Amino acid sequence: MSFEYLEFGKEEKDFIEKIEEISGQNVYSCYQCGKCSAGCAFSSSMDMTVNQLIHLIQLGQKRRVLEANTHWVCASCLTCTVRCPREIDVAALMEAVREYHLREEPEKIIISEIPKKAYDKLPNIALVSNFRKKTG
Amino acid sequence: MVQYSYFPGCNLKTNAKGFEETAIAVSKKLEAELVEMPKWNCCGTVHTMTSDNMMRRIAPVRVLSRSKKHIDTLEEGTTKEVVTLCSMCNSTLKIVNHEVKQNHEDLEKINYQLEEDEECYEEDMEVKHFLEIIRDNIGYEKLSQSVVKPLEGLKISPYYGCMLLHPDEAAIDDVEMPSVLEYLVESLGAEVIDSPLFKFCCGSYHIVDEEQIVDTQVGKIVEAARLRGANALVVACPLCAFNIDHQQKIMKDKNHGKEPLPVFYFTQLMALALGVPLKTNHFEDHHIDPKPLLKELGLTGKKKS
Repeated sequence: MSFEYLEFGKEEKDFIEKIEEISGQNVYSCYQCGKCSAGCAFSSSMDMTVNQLIHLIQLGQKRRVLEANTHWVCASCLTCTVRCPREIDVAALMEAVREYHLREEPEKIIISEIPKKAYDKLPNIALVSNFRKKTG
Repeated sequence: MVQYSYFPGCNLKTNAKGFEETAIAVSKKLEAELVEMPKWNCCGTVHTMTSDNMMRRIAPVRVLSRSKKHIDTLEEGTTKEVVTLCSMCNSTLKIVNHEVKQNHEDLEKINYQLEEDEECYEEDMEVKHFLEIIRDNIGYEKLSQSVVKPLEGLKISPYYGCMLLHPDEAAIDDVEMPSVLEYLVESLGAEVIDSPLFKFCCGSYHIVDEEQIVDTQVGKIVEAARLRGANALVVACPLCAFNIDHQQKIMKDKNHGKEPLPVFYFTQLMALALGVPLKTNHFEDHHIDPKPLLKELGLTGKKKS
């Protein structure tokens, strides 16, 4: 078993506060039961499961949270939200992490780089929702 | 004949023409006509889950306000309901409606922005999905009495997707055990095949830049239905429909996979059973043509010789 000492100062507290402000959720409500990750349709594509990401948010570990792909893989199907025993809007926390990123760097997807033939093929709702989730 | 104010949303005019045209045709046959509201705009497709972004709530509130005006012009309209067909519109409009009813301060800010459009929302609308209208206002009994061609031989696995059932404010049925599509399919004379992945997300907007995620999801959804004996899927969301339909074809071409299952909108099944002309379905827009299956089962509308 290995140990790691984490910083917990102003930067960490500010990060937690901002995520709570954007999402309107209390991150400390989470008691790490893992139900969100167990029911998540995308867990296998995530480099960190949803409850692990929430744990890192609770610890204010901004860099590690933003480096994960978890919140980008989340497609807001809200299965976790309707099942959370602590009634946390888990998907709103994922949205808050996305928003936190986008409010600093507004382009997760570069729209001009999407090939034209994709526009001809894809339904409008796919494009609109993708741009809403991945651009600021 | 009752008339409903109907909000189409962007996709029913492009990829999902068959969904809209069949819905309007069957709504007339069931004496609950869907009348398109004027000057509608995109609802935003995905609801913002942030607590502080009012910009993204303006479009759906404008829709609610305009549908109220539209209802006043209908001859025999219901007083408070705007009807949607697309699950994403259903979810976005319902959540925003719920939110602004809870939070008057937010509504004031949004209405201030709507002044320019001469709109003002007064919290007096309810959003309904057409499936709810069928279940609660029309009734399965009337539906099954209107069937002229029972869909015998079709083994349909209902796929709800996420947005018809999540979150609680937008749910049209029980979140973990819905039955509205099952009753509908049974009323039309087809067989229901239950699949455990009835609301397993299809990957949604990842189709734009993370196609492999959608492929994984679609593979699982279709396989679960196929294993239980389904020969088709029924959906209510144009994005679920596109993802499942289109990606099955891509995967089949790529890995010589199993025979794909055709995907129907629930209104297309109704149209087939209620004797609406076949061309209304716009099967040419589907990537997996359902016509061979329908022909095999004698459901294309032409009498068996």
